[in-house]
Amino acid sequence: MLIAPCLKDDRLNISDLTQIPLISALPLECRQQLSRFLIQRRIPAYQSLVLEGDPAEACFFIQSGTFRVLRTNQDGKVQVLSRLSTGAPINIISLLIPERVNRASVEALTPASVLALNSKDFDSLLASCPEFSTALLRHFAMRISHMTDLAADLSLLSVRTRLARFLIDLADSPNSICDWTQDEIAAQIGTVRDVVGRTLRDFETQGLISRDHQQFVLLDRSGLVREASLNPK
Amino acid sequence: MTQKALPIINFDRCDRCGACVTGCPEQALTMTKAGPVFIQPVNCTYCTACEGFCPTGAIRAPIKVRWALEN
Ligand code: SF4
Ligand code: SF4
Repeated sequence: MLIAPCLKDDRLNISDLTQIPLISALPLECRQQLSRFLIQRRIPAYQSLVLEGDPAEACFFIQSGTFRVLRTNQDGKVQVLSRLSTGAPINIISLLIPERVNRASVEALTPASVLALNSKDFDSLLASCPEFSTALLRHFAMRISHMTDLAADLSLLSVRTRLARFLIDLADSPNSICDWTQDEIAAQIGTVRDVVGRTLRDFETQGLISRDHQQFVLLDRSGLVREASLNPK
Repeated sequence: MTQKALPIINFDRCDRCGACVTGCPEQALTMTKAGPVFIQPVNCTYCTACEGFCPTGAIRAPIKVRWALEN
């Protein structure tokens, strides 16, 4: 499989860092140091940026575009774990674990641009810029808190409720630049692909949505909002 | 005439196992040396089953979601 070729290598300007929350809040000195290390890479759609199991050589910050995170399960089947978009960091955990191997593959779904930070520079930043370490801790604290909320949703809300919420949010956000697959929706709402497919068919039978080839049309806003606000499993 | 959307096949990920070809209920796909290709694209109903059969994540069948006009 191909690893994304570097279409353009550029040293950066400090102003290029504003759309990355983890970096933009750092003190100027730290950002200046980072901007000397970061290299911009353009990734074509459907190219892999990181391969699961390879030595972890870098982490990345998404400047633009959408990626999906994939992992091979015990049966050898590739599973979608999540999607990532502008501002999100990629592969930081792989640089922090002692084995330093990529824990998952990451593939661009759209043409994308990332800022690459190689492992040596990552280590030197951790050692020299305590604010960078604090920003990482904060990032992971937010991730854990998000996962706790998701776990609460999983135990309190049915798949129907979670899917109805997802569909409403997606249809209400005109800026979504990349369409979702049923695997990706399943990863996002904490279920499996078959259940997403079955629930979409149930919604269709009930007249809440209709399907026209690739398009799912939401027909009944109040019915979907009702589904989205139901709590009992 | 606008062309119907088809699932996207990423040949870099495909290991040519043929699961999508044999699993497609509409016989829309055939296997070539390069990987599966659409031999009968008009047959494809966009059921997305091939995406589910694919063990390597090489097929993506993204869906579009929008409100009906009156909403
Ligand atoms: S979407 Fe369905 S009909 Fe189309 S190629 Fe895949 S399995 Fe066949
Ligand atoms: S199922 Fe996936 S890996 Fe197998 S031939 Fe089809 S596209 Fe390739």
